[in-house]
Amino acid sequence: MTRFAEPMARLIEELKKLPGVGGKTAQRFAFHILRASDEDAELLAEAIREVKASLRLCSICNNITDVDPCTYCTSATRNQRLVCVVEEPTNIAAIEKTRHYNGVYHVLHGALSPLHGIGPEQLRITNLAKRVESACIDELIVATNPTIEGEATATYLSRLFKSSGVKVTRIATGVPVGSDIEYADEVTMQKAMEGRREL
Amino acid sequence: MSLKQSEAIVLRTYPLREADLLVTLFTRAEGKVKGIARSAKNSKRRFGGALEPLTWVRAYYDDREGQDLARLDSCDILESPLSTTVDYPRVVALEHVAEMLDELLPDREANDAIFRLAVSVLHQLRAGSIWMPLTYFQLWLVRLVGFLPELGTCLACGVALSGSLAYYHALADGLMCVQHKRLASSKLAPESRALAEQMFRAPVESFAEEPWAPSQCADLRRFLVQIMERHIEKKLVTAGMLARL
Repeated sequence: MTRFAEPMARLIEELKKLPGVGGKTAQRFAFHILRASDEDAELLAEAIREVKASLRLCSICNNITDVDPCTYCTSATRNQRLVCVVEEPTNIAAIEKTRHYNGVYHVLHGALSPLHGIGPEQLRITNLAKRVESACIDELIVATNPTIEGEATATYLSRLFKSSGVKVTRIATGVPVGSDIEYADEVTMQKAMEGRREL
Repeated sequence: MSLKQSEAIVLRTYPLREADLLVTLFTRAEGKVKGIARSAKNSKRRFGGALEPLTWVRAYYDDREGQDLARLDSCDILESPLSTTVDYPRVVALEHVAEMLDELLPDREANDAIFRLAVSVLHQLRAGSIWMPLTYFQLWLVRLVGFLPELGTCLACGVALSGSLAYYHALADGLMCVQHKRLASSKLAPESRALAEQMFRAPVESFAEEPWAPSQCADLRRFLVQIMERHIEKKLVTAGMLARL
Protein backbone atom coordinates (compact mmCIF):
# COMPACT_ATOMS: atom_id res chain seq x y z
CA MET A 1 0.00 0.00 0.00
CA THR A 2 1.40 3.44 -0.89
CA ARG A 3 1.82 6.08 1.80
CA PHE A 4 0.05 8.70 -0.32
CA ALA A 5 -3.15 8.88 -2.31
CA GLU A 6 -2.66 7.52 -5.83
CA PRO A 7 -2.53 10.92 -7.69
CA MET A 8 -0.01 12.24 -5.15
CA ALA A 9 2.16 9.12 -5.38
CA ARG A 10 2.07 9.42 -9.17
CA LEU A 11 3.14 13.08 -9.07
CA ILE A 12 6.02 12.21 -6.70
CA GLU A 13 7.13 9.39 -8.99
CA GLU A 14 7.12 11.72 -12.02
CA LEU A 15 9.04 14.47 -10.18
CA LYS A 16 11.66 11.94 -9.04
CA LYS A 17 12.61 11.48 -12.69
CA LEU A 18 13.96 15.06 -12.82
CA PRO A 19 17.76 15.38 -12.58
CA GLY A 20 19.00 16.00 -9.06
CA VAL A 21 15.60 15.29 -7.50
CA GLY A 22 15.43 12.50 -4.93
CA GLY A 23 12.45 11.10 -3.06
CA LYS A 24 12.33 13.75 -0.32
CA THR A 25 12.69 16.70 -2.73
CA ALA A 26 10.02 15.22 -5.02
CA GLN A 27 7.72 14.94 -2.02
CA ARG A 28 8.37 18.61 -1.10
CA PHE A 29 7.67 19.73 -4.68
CA ALA A 30 4.49 17.65 -4.80
CA PHE A 31 3.13 19.11 -1.55
CA HIS A 32 4.04 22.61 -2.74
CA ILE A 33 2.03 22.04 -5.92
CA LEU A 34 -0.86 20.63 -3.86
CA ARG A 35 -0.91 23.68 -1.60
CA ALA A 36 -0.56 26.16 -4.49
CA SER A 37 -3.63 27.85 -5.93
CA ASP A 38 -5.44 26.15 -8.81
CA GLU A 39 -4.26 28.97 -11.05
CA ASP A 40 -0.56 28.48 -10.19
CA ALA A 41 -0.80 24.71 -10.66
CA GLU A 42 -2.52 25.23 -14.01
CA LEU A 43 0.20 27.73 -15.10
CA LEU A 44 2.89 25.16 -14.26
CA ALA A 45 1.09 22.40 -16.17
CA GLU A 46 0.51 24.72 -19.12
CA ALA A 47 4.17 25.80 -19.17
CA ILE A 48 5.29 22.15 -19.30
CA ARG A 49 2.77 21.38 -22.06
CA GLU A 50 3.86 24.42 -24.08
CA VAL A 51 7.55 23.61 -23.80
CA LYS A 52 6.91 20.19 -25.32
CA ALA A 53 4.50 21.47 -27.96
CA SER A 54 6.29 24.57 -29.24
CA LEU A 55 10.02 23.95 -28.88
CA ARG A 56 12.04 22.22 -31.58
CA LEU A 57 15.57 22.22 -32.95
CA CYS A 58 16.74 25.00 -35.26
CA SER A 59 17.26 23.53 -38.72
CA ILE A 60 20.53 25.44 -39.12
CA CYS A 61 22.29 25.24 -35.75
CA ASN A 62 20.33 22.59 -33.75
CA ASN A 63 19.73 25.02 -30.89
CA ILE A 64 16.43 24.63 -29.05
CA THR A 65 14.04 27.26 -30.37
CA ASP A 66 10.37 28.19 -30.77
CA VAL A 67 10.97 29.76 -34.20
CA ASP A 68 12.89 28.09 -37.01
CA PRO A 69 15.56 29.30 -37.85
CA CYS A 70 16.42 30.50 -34.34
CA THR A 71 17.02 34.13 -33.35
CA TYR A 72 20.82 33.69 -33.50
CA CYS A 73 20.74 32.30 -37.05
CA THR A 74 18.48 35.09 -38.35
CA SER A 75 20.10 37.99 -36.47
CA ALA A 76 21.33 40.75 -38.77
CA THR A 77 23.66 42.12 -36.10
CA ARG A 78 25.55 38.87 -35.51
CA ASN A 79 28.54 37.70 -37.54
CA GLN A 80 27.09 34.75 -39.45
CA ARG A 81 30.55 33.76 -40.73
CA LEU A 82 31.84 32.96 -37.24
CA VAL A 83 30.45 29.72 -35.77
CA CYS A 84 31.00 28.45 -32.24
CA VAL A 85 30.49 24.68 -31.89
CA VAL A 86 29.18 23.55 -28.49
CA GLU A 87 28.12 20.21 -27.02
CA GLU A 88 24.77 21.21 -25.50
CA PRO A 89 22.26 24.08 -25.89
CA THR A 90 22.96 25.04 -22.25
CA ASN A 91 26.57 25.88 -23.22
CA ILE A 92 25.29 28.79 -25.32
CA ALA A 93 24.09 30.63 -22.20
CA ALA A 94 27.59 30.43 -20.68
CA ILE A 95 29.14 31.98 -23.81
CA GLU A 96 26.41 34.61 -24.14
CA LYS A 97 27.08 35.69 -20.53
CA THR A 98 30.49 36.98 -21.62
CA ARG A 99 28.82 39.57 -23.94
CA HIS A 100 32.04 39.38 -25.99
CA TYR A 101 30.98 36.87 -28.62
CA ASN A 102 28.98 38.11 -31.59
CA GLY A 103 29.02 35.07 -33.85
CA VAL A 104 26.50 32.25 -34.19
CA TYR A 105 26.41 28.69 -32.85
CA HIS A 106 26.22 25.04 -33.77
CA VAL A 107 25.00 22.51 -31.19
CA LEU A 108 26.25 18.92 -31.50
CA HIS A 109 23.95 17.53 -28.78
CA GLY A 110 26.73 15.51 -27.18
CA ALA A 111 30.37 14.57 -27.58
CA LEU A 112 32.08 11.45 -28.88
CA SER A 113 31.66 8.90 -26.10
CA PRO A 114 32.51 5.30 -27.06
CA LEU A 115 31.52 3.93 -23.64
CA HIS A 116 28.01 5.23 -24.26
CA GLY A 117 27.99 4.07 -27.87
CA ILE A 118 28.18 7.65 -29.20
CA GLY A 119 30.29 7.90 -32.34
CA PRO A 120 30.44 10.58 -35.05
CA GLU A 121 27.18 9.27 -36.61
CA GLN A 122 25.26 10.01 -33.42
CA LEU A 123 26.35 13.67 -33.27
CA ARG A 124 24.64 16.40 -35.30
CA ILE A 125 27.55 17.05 -37.64
CA THR A 126 25.78 16.67 -41.01
CA ASN A 127 24.25 20.16 -41.07
CA LEU A 128 27.54 21.64 -39.80
CA ALA A 129 29.28 20.04 -42.78
CA LYS A 130 26.64 21.58 -45.06
CA ARG A 131 27.27 25.01 -43.52
CA VAL A 132 31.01 24.60 -44.08
CA GLU A 133 30.53 23.33 -47.65
CA SER A 134 28.34 26.31 -48.51
CA ALA A 135 31.48 28.45 -48.00
CA CYS A 136 29.68 30.97 -45.82
CA ILE A 137 31.90 30.36 -42.77
CA ASP A 138 35.30 31.93 -42.05
CA GLU A 139 36.03 30.36 -38.68
CA LEU A 140 34.78 27.49 -36.55
CA ILE A 141 35.47 27.87 -32.83
CA VAL A 142 35.31 24.44 -31.19
CA ALA A 143 34.04 25.03 -27.66
CA THR A 144 33.50 21.43 -26.53
CA ASN A 145 34.33 20.60 -22.89
CA PRO A 146 38.02 20.14 -21.98
CA THR A 147 37.39 16.48 -21.13
CA ILE A 148 38.77 13.42 -22.94
CA GLU A 149 35.53 13.12 -24.90
CA GLY A 150 35.33 16.86 -25.64
CA GLU A 151 38.96 16.89 -26.82
CA ALA A 152 38.37 13.84 -29.05
CA THR A 153 35.36 15.62 -30.56
CA ALA A 154 37.40 18.78 -31.18
CA THR A 155 40.21 16.80 -32.85
CA TYR A 156 37.67 14.91 -34.96
CA LEU A 157 36.04 18.15 -36.18
CA SER A 158 39.36 19.84 -36.92
CA ARG A 159 40.47 16.86 -39.07
CA LEU A 160 37.07 16.66 -40.77
CA PHE A 161 37.13 20.29 -41.87
CA LYS A 162 40.88 20.64 -42.42
CA SER A 163 40.60 20.25 -46.20
CA SER A 164 37.69 22.70 -46.49
CA GLY A 165 39.88 25.73 -45.94
CA VAL A 166 37.83 26.95 -42.97
CA LYS A 167 39.90 28.15 -40.03
CA VAL A 168 39.21 25.80 -37.08
CA THR A 169 40.18 27.08 -33.62
CA ARG A 170 39.89 25.60 -30.11
CA ILE A 171 38.91 27.60 -27.03
CA ALA A 172 41.78 28.12 -24.58
CA THR A 173 42.12 25.98 -21.45
CA GLY A 174 44.02 26.82 -18.29
CA VAL A 175 43.86 28.39 -14.85
CA PRO A 176 40.42 29.90 -14.06
CA VAL A 177 40.24 33.65 -13.35
CA GLY A 178 40.22 34.39 -9.61
CA SER A 179 41.75 31.04 -8.66
CA ASP A 180 45.16 30.29 -7.23
CA ILE A 181 47.92 28.70 -9.33
CA GLU A 182 48.93 26.75 -6.21
CA TYR A 183 45.72 24.72 -6.47
CA ALA A 184 45.80 24.08 -10.21
CA ASP A 185 46.24 20.42 -11.13
CA GLU A 186 49.12 19.24 -13.34
CA VAL A 187 47.14 18.90 -16.55
CA THR A 188 45.43 22.29 -16.21
CA MET A 189 48.79 23.93 -15.54
CA GLN A 190 50.38 22.13 -18.50
CA LYS A 191 47.56 23.34 -20.77
CA ALA A 192 47.93 26.87 -19.39
CA MET A 193 51.66 26.88 -20.14
CA GLU A 194 51.14 25.47 -23.63
CA GLY A 195 48.48 28.10 -24.37
CA ARG A 196 50.48 31.08 -23.08
CA ARG A 197 50.47 34.25 -25.20
CA GLU A 198 52.85 37.10 -25.66
CA LEU A 199 52.09 40.29 -23.72
CA MET B 1 40.23 8.47 10.85
CA SER B 2 43.19 8.25 8.47
CA LEU B 3 42.53 8.05 4.75
CA LYS B 4 43.53 5.09 2.65
CA GLN B 5 45.75 5.88 -0.28
CA SER B 6 46.56 3.93 -3.38
CA GLU B 7 47.65 4.35 -6.96
CA ALA B 8 44.57 3.96 -9.12
CA ILE B 9 43.25 4.21 -12.65
CA VAL B 10 39.93 5.98 -13.12
CA LEU B 11 37.64 3.68 -15.09
CA ARG B 12 34.28 5.46 -15.22
CA THR B 13 32.30 8.27 -13.66
CA TYR B 14 28.54 8.65 -13.45
CA PRO B 15 26.66 11.79 -12.39
CA LEU B 16 25.05 11.40 -8.98
CA ARG B 17 22.65 13.90 -7.42
CA GLU B 18 23.20 17.59 -8.22
CA ALA B 19 26.99 17.86 -8.14
CA ASP B 20 28.48 14.51 -7.05
CA LEU B 21 30.11 11.84 -9.16
CA LEU B 22 30.03 8.08 -8.67
CA VAL B 23 33.55 6.97 -9.58
CA THR B 24 34.86 3.50 -10.41
CA LEU B 25 38.58 3.20 -9.67
CA PHE B 26 40.94 0.31 -10.32
CA THR B 27 43.23 0.66 -7.34
CA ARG B 28 46.55 -1.09 -6.91
CA ALA B 29 45.90 -1.89 -3.26
CA GLU B 30 42.30 -3.11 -3.34
CA GLY B 31 41.35 -3.74 -6.95
CA LYS B 32 38.12 -2.21 -8.23
CA VAL B 33 36.64 0.29 -5.79
CA LYS B 34 33.49 2.36 -6.26
CA GLY B 35 33.23 5.65 -4.43
CA ILE B 36 31.50 9.00 -4.30
CA ALA B 37 33.37 12.20 -5.11
CA ARG B 38 31.31 14.89 -3.41
CA SER B 39 30.82 18.19 -5.29
CA ALA B 40 33.16 16.96 -8.03
CA LYS B 41 31.02 18.54 -10.73
CA ASN B 42 30.81 22.08 -9.40
CA SER B 43 34.19 22.37 -7.67
CA LYS B 44 37.20 21.59 -9.82
CA ARG B 45 39.64 22.51 -7.07
CA ARG B 46 39.73 19.13 -5.29
CA PHE B 47 39.70 16.86 -8.31
CA GLY B 48 40.52 19.03 -11.33
CA GLY B 49 40.98 16.79 -14.34
CA ALA B 50 41.85 13.79 -12.15
CA LEU B 51 38.52 12.05 -12.67
CA GLU B 52 38.77 11.83 -16.45
CA PRO B 53 38.66 8.18 -17.62
CA LEU B 54 42.02 6.37 -17.71
CA THR B 55 43.82 8.98 -15.62
CA TRP B 56 46.48 7.36 -13.44
CA VAL B 57 46.16 8.94 -10.02
CA ARG B 58 47.07 8.58 -6.37
CA ALA B 59 43.65 8.35 -4.76
CA TYR B 60 42.83 9.21 -1.14
CA TYR B 61 39.62 7.62 0.13
CA ASP B 62 37.95 6.06 3.13
CA ASP B 63 35.38 3.36 3.68
CA ARG B 64 32.44 3.98 5.94
CA GLU B 65 31.05 1.21 8.08
CA GLY B 66 28.05 -0.52 6.58
CA GLN B 67 28.37 1.25 3.23
CA ASP B 68 29.52 -0.27 -0.04
CA LEU B 69 30.64 3.01 -1.55
CA ALA B 70 33.88 4.64 -0.44
CA ARG B 71 34.19 8.39 0.06
CA LEU B 72 36.73 9.73 -2.39
CA ASP B 73 38.58 12.59 -0.69
CA SER B 74 41.04 13.72 -3.35
CA CYS B 75 43.23 12.56 -6.22
CA ASP B 76 46.72 13.57 -7.35
CA ILE B 77 47.34 13.10 -11.05
CA LEU B 78 50.29 10.84 -11.89
CA GLU B 79 49.61 10.72 -15.62
CA SER B 80 46.69 12.03 -17.63
CA PRO B 81 45.65 10.98 -21.14
CA LEU B 82 44.88 14.68 -21.70
CA SER B 83 48.64 15.44 -21.62
CA THR B 84 48.96 14.33 -25.25
CA THR B 85 46.67 14.60 -28.29
CA VAL B 86 43.31 12.90 -27.83
CA ASP B 87 41.76 11.89 -31.14
CA TYR B 88 38.72 9.70 -31.79
CA PRO B 89 40.57 6.37 -32.31
CA ARG B 90 42.55 6.98 -29.12
CA VAL B 91 39.46 7.77 -27.05
CA VAL B 92 37.78 4.60 -28.34
CA ALA B 93 40.89 2.60 -27.39
CA LEU B 94 41.16 4.21 -23.95
CA GLU B 95 37.50 3.63 -23.16
CA HIS B 96 37.81 0.06 -24.45
CA VAL B 97 40.54 -0.53 -21.86
CA ALA B 98 38.30 1.03 -19.19
CA GLU B 99 35.31 -1.10 -20.19
CA MET B 100 37.33 -4.34 -20.21
CA LEU B 101 38.76 -3.66 -16.75
CA ASP B 102 35.36 -2.66 -15.39
CA GLU B 103 33.57 -5.68 -16.81
CA LEU B 104 36.18 -8.36 -16.14
CA LEU B 105 37.54 -7.50 -12.71
CA PRO B 106 35.68 -8.30 -9.50
CA ASP B 107 35.18 -5.60 -6.84
CA ARG B 108 37.77 -5.26 -4.04
CA GLU B 109 40.23 -7.88 -5.28
CA ALA B 110 43.75 -6.55 -5.78
CA ASN B 111 45.61 -7.68 -8.91
CA ASP B 112 49.03 -6.10 -9.15
CA ALA B 113 49.93 -7.80 -12.44
CA ILE B 114 46.87 -6.38 -14.22
CA PHE B 115 47.47 -2.96 -12.67
CA ARG B 116 51.06 -2.90 -13.97
CA LEU B 117 49.86 -4.12 -17.35
CA ALA B 118 47.27 -1.33 -17.54
CA VAL B 119 49.78 1.39 -16.59
CA SER B 120 52.39 0.23 -19.10
CA VAL B 121 49.83 -0.07 -21.90
CA LEU B 122 48.38 3.39 -21.15
CA HIS B 123 51.89 4.83 -21.70
CA GLN B 124 51.86 3.35 -25.21
CA LEU B 125 48.30 4.28 -26.22
CA ARG B 126 49.06 7.41 -28.21
CA ALA B 127 47.22 9.08 -31.06
CA GLY B 128 48.14 7.21 -34.24
CA SER B 129 49.38 4.07 -32.47
CA ILE B 130 46.55 2.24 -30.75
CA TRP B 131 46.47 -1.21 -32.33
CA MET B 132 49.64 -2.75 -30.89
CA PRO B 133 49.08 -1.65 -27.26
CA LEU B 134 45.40 -2.60 -27.50
CA THR B 135 46.23 -6.10 -28.79
CA TYR B 136 48.89 -6.53 -26.10
CA PHE B 137 46.45 -5.44 -23.39
CA GLN B 138 43.61 -7.69 -24.55
CA LEU B 139 45.93 -10.69 -24.84
CA TRP B 140 47.48 -10.30 -21.42
CA LEU B 141 44.22 -9.35 -19.69
CA VAL B 142 42.46 -12.45 -21.03
CA ARG B 143 45.42 -14.54 -19.90
CA LEU B 144 45.69 -12.96 -16.44
CA VAL B 145 42.01 -13.40 -15.64
CA GLY B 146 42.35 -17.04 -16.67
CA PHE B 147 40.15 -17.10 -19.77
CA LEU B 148 42.81 -17.71 -22.43
CA PRO B 149 42.70 -21.20 -23.98
CA GLU B 150 45.72 -23.04 -25.33
CA LEU B 151 46.76 -21.31 -28.59
CA GLY B 152 48.95 -24.11 -29.93
CA THR B 153 46.67 -27.15 -30.03
CA CYS B 154 43.27 -28.16 -31.36
CA LEU B 155 40.59 -28.25 -28.71
CA ALA B 156 38.97 -31.35 -30.19
CA CYS B 157 41.88 -33.65 -31.18
CA GLY B 158 44.87 -32.09 -29.40
CA VAL B 159 46.95 -31.91 -32.57
CA ALA B 160 49.56 -29.11 -32.74
CA LEU B 161 48.32 -26.16 -34.84
CA SER B 162 51.79 -24.87 -35.58
CA GLY B 163 52.03 -22.96 -38.85
CA SER B 164 48.48 -23.68 -40.01
CA LEU B 165 45.22 -21.76 -39.77
CA ALA B 166 43.27 -22.18 -36.55
CA TYR B 167 39.52 -21.71 -36.15
CA TYR B 168 37.42 -20.34 -33.30
CA HIS B 169 33.71 -20.30 -32.64
CA ALA B 170 31.48 -18.38 -30.25
CA LEU B 171 30.38 -21.61 -28.58
CA ALA B 172 33.77 -23.35 -28.43
CA ASP B 173 36.22 -23.16 -25.53
CA GLY B 174 39.35 -22.92 -27.66
CA LEU B 175 40.94 -23.15 -31.09
CA MET B 176 40.21 -25.93 -33.57
CA CYS B 177 42.05 -27.45 -36.52
CA VAL B 178 40.60 -27.48 -40.04
CA GLN B 179 39.17 -30.99 -39.53
CA HIS B 180 37.29 -30.13 -36.35
CA LYS B 181 36.20 -26.54 -37.04
CA ARG B 182 32.50 -25.87 -36.52
CA LEU B 183 30.10 -24.33 -39.01
CA ALA B 184 30.53 -20.51 -39.20
CA SER B 185 33.89 -20.60 -37.42
CA SER B 186 36.30 -17.67 -37.83
CA LYS B 187 39.96 -17.95 -38.82
CA LEU B 188 42.98 -17.11 -36.69
CA ALA B 189 46.15 -16.75 -38.76
CA PRO B 190 49.40 -18.49 -37.68
CA GLU B 191 51.18 -15.08 -37.90
CA SER B 192 48.81 -13.63 -35.31
CA ARG B 193 49.37 -16.62 -33.00
CA ALA B 194 53.13 -16.29 -33.44
CA LEU B 195 52.93 -12.61 -32.50
CA ALA B 196 50.85 -13.53 -29.46
CA GLU B 197 53.60 -15.91 -28.37
CA GLN B 198 56.15 -13.10 -28.77
CA MET B 199 53.95 -10.79 -26.71
CA PHE B 200 54.00 -13.29 -23.85
CA ARG B 201 57.78 -13.08 -23.75
CA ALA B 202 58.44 -9.34 -24.07
CA PRO B 203 57.23 -6.07 -22.53
CA VAL B 204 54.87 -3.82 -24.49
CA GLU B 205 57.63 -1.23 -25.07
CA SER B 206 59.60 -3.67 -27.22
CA PHE B 207 56.81 -3.70 -29.84
CA ALA B 208 56.50 0.09 -29.98
CA GLU B 209 59.06 0.63 -32.74
CA GLU B 210 57.16 -0.67 -35.76
CA PRO B 211 53.85 0.97 -36.76
CA TRP B 212 50.79 -1.29 -36.88
CA ALA B 213 48.04 -1.12 -39.50
CA PRO B 214 44.48 -1.63 -38.19
CA SER B 215 44.37 -4.98 -40.02
CA GLN B 216 47.42 -6.36 -38.18
CA CYS B 217 46.28 -9.01 -35.69
CA ALA B 218 42.64 -7.95 -36.21
CA ASP B 219 41.70 -11.66 -36.13
CA LEU B 220 43.46 -12.10 -32.78
CA ARG B 221 41.61 -9.08 -31.31
CA ARG B 222 38.25 -10.44 -32.54
CA PHE B 223 39.10 -13.82 -30.97
CA LEU B 224 40.00 -12.20 -27.64
CA VAL B 225 36.91 -9.97 -27.60
CA GLN B 226 34.77 -13.03 -28.28
CA ILE B 227 36.33 -14.83 -25.30
CA MET B 228 35.64 -11.85 -23.03
CA GLU B 229 32.07 -11.36 -24.25
CA ARG B 230 31.39 -15.06 -23.79
CA HIS B 231 32.47 -14.90 -20.15
CA ILE B 232 30.70 -11.65 -19.21
CA GLU B 233 27.65 -12.76 -21.23
CA LYS B 234 27.18 -9.42 -22.93
CA LYS B 235 28.64 -7.33 -25.73
CA LEU B 236 31.42 -4.85 -25.06
CA VAL B 237 30.03 -1.52 -26.31
CA THR B 238 33.45 -0.19 -27.26
CA ALA B 239 34.43 -3.33 -29.21
CA GLY B 240 31.79 -2.46 -31.80
CA MET B 241 33.09 1.12 -32.00
CA LEU B 242 36.66 -0.18 -32.51
CA ALA B 243 35.55 -2.46 -35.31
CA ARG B 244 34.05 0.54 -37.14
CA LEU B 245 37.25 2.65 -36.96
